[in-house]
Amino acid sequence: MVRSRKLHFWSWPSELRRNGITGINSRNIDLIFPLNPRSNYALVDNKALTKKLCESRHIPAPETYALIQRFGDIKRSIDLLFGLSSFIIKPTRGAGGRGVLAIANRRGNEFNNAKGEPFSLEQIRYHISTILSGLYSLSGHPDQAMIEKLIEPHPVFNGLTVAGTPDIRIVIYKTTPIMSMLRLPTKSSKGRANLHQGAAGVGIDLETGITCGGVWRDRLSDVHPDTGASLSGLMIPRWKDVLTIATQLSCAIGLQYVGVDVLLDADGGPLILEANARPGLSIQIANRCGLWPRLRETNLKLCLS
Amino acid sequence: MISRNRAAILTALILIVAGALCAWLRITYTLKPAGSQGGRAWRLTYDINLSSTREGKIRVALPDSTSYIRIYRETFSHQGIWVDLLRNKRTRGREASVVSMAGHKRGRFFAQFDIYLTPDQQSKLPAAEEKLSANDRAYYLRAEKDVQITAPGLANILNQLANEQMTKTELLTSIFDYCAENIIKGEKDIFSDAVNTLEHGIGNTLGRARAMVALCRLSKIPARVVAGFILENTQEAQVHYWVEAFSQKKWLSYDPENGYSAQLPITFLPITRDSIDIVRGPDTFGYQSRYSIRQLLASTSFVSSEDNQLWNIVDLTRLPPSMQEIVSLILLLPLAALITTIFRNIIGIQTFGTFTPGLIAMGFIHADWRTGTLVFFIVLSVGILVRLLLNKLQLLMVARLSIVLTMAVLCMVLAVSVLDYLSLTPSASAVVLPIVILTMMIERFNIIAEEDGLQNALKTFATTILVAACCFLVMKVAWVGRLSLIFPEVQLFNVAILLLIGRYSGYRLSEIWRFRDITQIPFN
Repeated sequence: MVRSRKLHFWSWPSELRRNGITGINSRNIDLIFPLNPRSNYALVDNKALTKKLCESRHIPAPETYALIQRFGDIKRSIDLLFGLSSFIIKPTRGAGGRGVLAIANRRGNEFNNAKGEPFSLEQIRYHISTILSGLYSLSGHPDQAMIEKLIEPHPVFNGLTVAGTPDIRIVIYKTTPIMSMLRLPTKSSKGRANLHQGAAGVGIDLETGITCGGVWRDRLSDVHPDTGASLSGLMIPRWKDVLTIATQLSCAIGLQYVGVDVLLDADGGPLILEANARPGLSIQIANRCGLWPRLRETNLKLCLS
Repeated sequence: MISRNRAAILTALILIVAGALCAWLRITYTLKPAGSQGGRAWRLTYDINLSSTREGKIRVALPDSTSYIRIYRETFSHQGIWVDLLRNKRTRGREASVVSMAGHKRGRFFAQFDIYLTPDQQSKLPAAEEKLSANDRAYYLRAEKDVQITAPGLANILNQLANEQMTKTELLTSIFDYCAENIIKGEKDIFSDAVNTLEHGIGNTLGRARAMVALCRLSKIPARVVAGFILENTQEAQVHYWVEAFSQKKWLSYDPENGYSAQLPITFLPITRDSIDIVRGPDTFGYQSRYSIRQLLASTSFVSSEDNQLWNIVDLTRLPPSMQEIVSLILLLPLAALITTIFRNIIGIQTFGTFTPGLIAMGFIHADWRTGTLVFFIVLSVGILVRLLLNKLQLLMVARLSIVLTMAVLCMVLAVSVLDYLSLTPSASAVVLPIVILTMMIERFNIIAEEDGLQNALKTFATTILVAACCFLVMKVAWVGRLSLIFPEVQLFNVAILLLIGRYSGYRLSEIWRFRDITQIPFN
């Protein structure tokens, strides 16, 4: 029986357990600690290393224009920006979409982000220097900045894109994709695709690549919070390729429980955005299913084969 | 997975057993019962407010070190007055001469005495032999306004008590017995002079002491009233009066009220022998005096080093009281960390940083929490404002953080100074907040506000304050601090609990709320 949504304030732990929901403590203790060796974290925590790995394994990823490692490099990189009309600047060790600056177009010396807000070269230079000083890095240590090609979202997401670029999160357990979702930036997430910042998540059927209902701010939601467009029934193009490159990356990284984020380029195919050694748990709400049944299923398959 | 859990549980059990065993062994073999252990170190606080705005002078009697009392630390603070320390000419007792300055609003004299009662003495003390000059002898036999030895009623009473064969010593005992048994203890505002007390058979503490002094002086035994305190934990200490009579070349102490004869317990702290008032001044000169007494933590081995066993390393109560305060504060920090861990890992509340709540709580422990909170919010709001303005200048992180730190320091110091100027805070308990933690909190607040929205920043801020408040309430409980000092073994229990929490893989309380929607879907 489906109970009234308004009167539902909590779920008993026994109900959560019955649904196979993984909590944060359990994710850390039962999945991340035993499955992800600490030494391999650097590969996912540093986007530049992830990118290098992709290049060496021929896994498609967005083109890198420049990697700025020192304050002295900033000026040279700024010169490079004059040849570009759109690009994205991100810290290599950033988390949660922090410190990401996307420039969508340029008019002379004035750059505009996707929302049309102007950015001067001076502001961009300052932004790069704050990245280098470590403001956005996970540990606060000095960081590096990456200038990448800005990916145009695939037209299939047209009705669902308000700001930023949607991406696809695939959770991979022992080289098997076990759960996936489409992450849609919203106005309240300020264009970022992280669910805890207010992005919407849409569960995707792993077999078919067709979306089902979604989640927004930890509540079930069947429509996009900004546009009201239906979230279900969307077919992700080149779904098998998406799963393939995600699996390839997870094998290369050597983490057995990992979330891989994939972008769908308008003209190219799927591209690796980044990987995450501590994937979030809201994906369970998006898919209306806990992780435990999928993990058990995978273990069973691995045992049989 | 299971073996790790088992290992954690096993380690936790071993730690608990080891801690309990260690505590039990120490209780049985080294720790003395609370009676002999406690009651050694005390803090006496004077807080005297002058309400007069005119120039004037008062005398404040101060405690002094004796054969069994050691004042090992004293602090004076005063404002709007001049203070001079001197000795009473006759009794050699210490006094402070306090002169108020004209034109100052209110004078204040604040003094703190940390007293240690010499542990090698028994609970009752023999008095030292002394010589009494003829002059002093006459002085201690004189008639006074409230010690009316010339009154006829007194002679009658003395005649009943004395007979020809009695020695002076026997007579003294007889007088004491009479005053202890035949005079009923009355309320504070009942007779406080010798004659009325003796005639009516009822008097207050002072009346009974004076009655005994009058009878002694009438029988040519030099005697005087001693004003002092009985050492016990109290916020409003009352002056207690007892009697010293000169017999067999010694000043012997008698307390008719409590029935102590010839010797007093060492918890009787004499302050003055020259007057019945601790603060003396002209009647027109207004002042309020408040005395408080607090027991400090100390053990037998802190003054005398006789008991130098290796075991005593674990006994932190042997440290000097000033160090004990710091040590017990440090020992409380793991407890705050435990509370924060419970909030984060079991309840699922996020805070700015892991140790921020505990350190904030620690900053409040020795301060007045109201002024502390005021200063805290002033520093925080100014810091956040400064940080917001700095954002426009686009400074590099280290420089920006340093500016915020500087502003926070300046703001805190000024806030404390302003509060003191307005006399809103006792100057002795100024707030020292963990300024670096505050700076990082300001920075984190601004980053979260910028990145995840003001709502999220305020939420995390509120939860941090909530956790800090919980830490504060637990750390503030007196026995918690004392327990952690007497039994450092408690830290092993702390580690044991943290081990168990560290392997807790169940749902957090917040997840019951977070995943509430998922159980609405019929499971298939």
